[in-house]
Amino acid sequence: MAVDSNPKTAGGPGSGGRIPAPSGRPLRRRPGNRPWVALLVALLLVVEVYPLVWMFLTSLKSNSDYLNNSTWSLPTTWEWGNYTEAWTTGNIGLYIQNSLLAVLPALALILLLGTAAGFALQVMVWKGRNLTLLVFLAGMMVPPQMILLPLFTVYFRTGLSGTLWPLILTYTGTGLPLTVFMMATYYKTVPRELFEAATIDGAGILRAFWTISLPMVRNALLTVGLVQFFFVWNDLLIALTFTNNQDLRTIQVGLLNFTGDFGATQYGPLFAAICINVFGTLVIYLFLNQKVMKGLTSGAVKG
Amino acid sequence: MITNSSAARRARLAGMTASAAAMVVLVSACGGTGGGSTASPKNFSYLSVTENTTVKTALTTLSKGACRTANEDLPLKVETVPQSGLDQKLQLLAGQNALPVQFAAGNAPALTQQLARSGHVADLEKELKKLGVYDQLQPAAVSTIKALYGGKVEVLPYEYNIEGIFYNKRIFTDNDLDVPGTWAELVAASAKLEGKGIQPFSASGQQGWPLTRLISGYLYRSLGPDALQDVADGKAKLTDPQYVKAAQEIADLGRKGYFGKGVGSIDYDTAMNQFLTGKAAMFYMGSWALANIADEKQNTLGADNVGFMPFPAVAGGKGAVDQYPSNVGLGITLGAKSFDSRTGDWVSCITKNYGATALKDQGVISGFKVNGEVKDATAVTGQVRETISSSKRNVLWFEALFSTKATTVSQTNAAGLVNGSLSPQKFMQTVQDALSAK
Amino acid sequence: MHRVLGDRKAVLILLGPALLVHSLIMLVPMVWSLGYSFTSGNTIEGFTANGLGNFQRLFTDPAVHDALWFTAKYAVVVTVGQVVAGYLLALLYVFFLKRASALVRTLVFFPVVLPTVAVGLLFQKLFQVAPQTGPVNSLLNAVGIDSVDWFGSAGHAFWVLIVMDVWRSMGFYAVLLFAGILDIPEEVLESARLDGASGLRLVRHIVLPMSFPVLLSSLIFSINGTLKAFDSIVALTGGGPGNATTPLTLYMFQTSFTYGDYGYGSTVAMLLTVVCLLVTLVVFRVSRRDLTEG
Repeated sequence: MAVDSNPKTAGGPGSGGRIPAPSGRPLRRRPGNRPWVALLVALLLVVEVYPLVWMFLTSLKSNSDYLNNSTWSLPTTWEWGNYTEAWTTGNIGLYIQNSLLAVLPALALILLLGTAAGFALQVMVWKGRNLTLLVFLAGMMVPPQMILLPLFTVYFRTGLSGTLWPLILTYTGTGLPLTVFMMATYYKTVPRELFEAATIDGAGILRAFWTISLPMVRNALLTVGLVQFFFVWNDLLIALTFTNNQDLRTIQVGLLNFTGDFGATQYGPLFAAICINVFGTLVIYLFLNQKVMKGLTSGAVKG
Repeated sequence: MITNSSAARRARLAGMTASAAAMVVLVSACGGTGGGSTASPKNFSYLSVTENTTVKTALTTLSKGACRTANEDLPLKVETVPQSGLDQKLQLLAGQNALPVQFAAGNAPALTQQLARSGHVADLEKELKKLGVYDQLQPAAVSTIKALYGGKVEVLPYEYNIEGIFYNKRIFTDNDLDVPGTWAELVAASAKLEGKGIQPFSASGQQGWPLTRLISGYLYRSLGPDALQDVADGKAKLTDPQYVKAAQEIADLGRKGYFGKGVGSIDYDTAMNQFLTGKAAMFYMGSWALANIADEKQNTLGADNVGFMPFPAVAGGKGAVDQYPSNVGLGITLGAKSFDSRTGDWVSCITKNYGATALKDQGVISGFKVNGEVKDATAVTGQVRETISSSKRNVLWFEALFSTKATTVSQTNAAGLVNGSLSPQKFMQTVQDALSAK
Repeated sequence: MHRVLGDRKAVLILLGPALLVHSLIMLVPMVWSLGYSFTSGNTIEGFTANGLGNFQRLFTDPAVHDALWFTAKYAVVVTVGQVVAGYLLALLYVFFLKRASALVRTLVFFPVVLPTVAVGLLFQKLFQVAPQTGPVNSLLNAVGIDSVDWFGSAGHAFWVLIVMDVWRSMGFYAVLLFAGILDIPEEVLESARLDGASGLRLVRHIVLPMSFPVLLSSLIFSINGTLKAFDSIVALTGGGPGNATTPLTLYMFQTSFTYGDYGYGSTVAMLLTVVCLLVTLVVFRVSRRDLTEG
């Protein structure tokens, strides 16, 4: 159990972040730990990475290959055609576009409204804020299956079905409670005096929220944003319920296109579609991950 | 409290709230674009499940060919939902009175009947007779539909399937086995195969229905073709000893290992593949599997090596082997409120042309008459078609007359029955309880 | 004292939109749906008043008891599993891997991104017994244990589900908690070290208490997800064998839509909501106490 001491001198822009460790320093103290940790990490990586390899290999197998040979073998023939099949049958291009068109606006709304509400609930001082926070918290616990019928009725009557609006609105609604709660928690770590000082200088509290508080919770925003992105991106239930028109399907619904009558499944194209989806999101994640890490190293919020 | 208030701000705030409210009102005012079963439909809209491509493909073909005029008046528009979401979608659409002109009416006949009872489904016998095309439906298909839907024709027979046991001819000859005519012979044949290390049956326990079909198969042979109608009518219970006996027989097959290992997690494709690659000797399935059998990529046995036998007789039983379990596939029906003359044109064109188109293009046997010459893809296809046209009385399947709940309960517990974690008595009790509830 | 911070209009501007959306999308439909719990029927046949009939049924329905018990068991085990595994990973990142942790972090996070359908299929294959012996069973065979039909019995299927869900999200909680541990001021750790604290003691007395807020958030995230688990269970076991792995969410969905009994389905939903609210209240209490201390 080596605990590394990392006496990073205060005063740098990242006085709190321990990442990256200053170069040139030994990374550990007790040599005995090294193989143990290395083994653990290696095991971890196998457990985490192998499924990806498996998915990729499966995406290149024919159905009979998938069914007859060991799951872990290489494809007997490399069926790159599965990808063409996935792209056309699965209509993946359109579905990805729909997913993005539904998820990104929802994400923006979730973050904007959620942060503002979190600020109002945590930083601002007014009667009933605890109760209001409880109201949001209660919403967090509402099982989404429950709101489907009423929402469907409303969307239908208002003519919103047949557009992506039902998805955007529902995602925003279901994403808000958690975001509000998380942002309120993060704002807890920012001293109120900061905003009071700012507003004495003449800046309104709204401006203080925008220009002072937002940069301070940047990391939180990124983390929550990342979380919400994956929640929403992987949603199947809501997308399935509210997309009446097949031109509006999202990627997750599209993945169901590969099953046939009586339970037959085209595994190759299915996995090809999954791979396209997964490696696409991987790129997004890597991009965001960069940002998150940058955020963490430059000015982490202190408790 | 409020220090820096100004009239302007208050106004802006009020305006924001008002405009939000206005938006809601506005949006509701110009609603109603969902379309659906209004008096005069704009399209021949058809809601189906994603999984079923046959009907969609054939209708599209017809819309460009034989039914072109009908299509010009009322263009075909296909929408699909995944099968698992179909029931939910129907509930939601029916609640808004927005069912399409033609739609797959639920995964179980129970839902179709519910839709029919509440006036959402057209009386097709009446409508087809009015159009003068009722004779385009095969009598066998009509009798199956009527048995399923309480004596009414509520769906069109876009498919007509009979079920039985497909067997591997080569394995049978290699092991000196005759096609079993009775249940006892079937069990004996299985024992012999098992003894030689050949898996007697392949079946998908994950789907569940391939296993419960064996129970109903046995029931129809031992108690006669009314066995399950009696349960539906409350004249008998699944927990009656003669019913439990059927479950017992199937559980015994499982206990002896005749379905192979881990039957509960075998999916549909795997079961099919096990049979078509010679890893199992027998496979209970419907005639829709003919397409797989004809496909050389999937079927490494060769179509000539696949035989089809009826579910065997039970000694002393009241049923006959020529009473085949049958179904019309996905129940596809027409909305009552949108059935106008243009819909009629479509329907009469479908009844006249669908049979030949589906058989010729996709090798699918439907319950419509086949007008014109179509050659059978394989010998087995011919055999099945002959069987269908000569059959006089057909039977249904285990869950055909069950509520959707009992259907789910039955199919999800089937694997437990054959892997021994659920006793036959308990299995039948569980299903009966689900049936009795409501 | 907090005069500017008490600006009501600002509160309204900041909070209003979120509260409006929240009310319209979540609260109103919830109340609306709960109204159905006093009726029986569905949208096809129409609803008829049923008084408290559904509630009587709720208490006697064995399927509800099973589902409730499963939900509780599942939520507790998975939540604990996810957060503990995540915390251990976070400690690993911070104290052992340090600079090299970015890559590991990314890779371990990755399963979160995978579509549920794919994860379900993967775990079916991992634990399969036939037609081929899956890797888990191969491993068992190698140490002399017979293959297990993992999806054939309730007990086994439960543990496969647990393993799957912990595997899936531990990387996510690791990242979350990692950020929390990073936020512990270096000086605090340093002075603790100077006092001779190291290893487990440092973790227990300094790191754990200091990262408590983020640990609590993780717990909320997790319990929020596990109580409402739906997709992953449907993808892996479909609630089976029988109804052995059917949580309240799935039972509610089946009752409402598959069985066409929306009224009773709403009653089941109400039960779940009550359970969730109780948990929420507990969480809220704990977190507020933490707030007043901080």
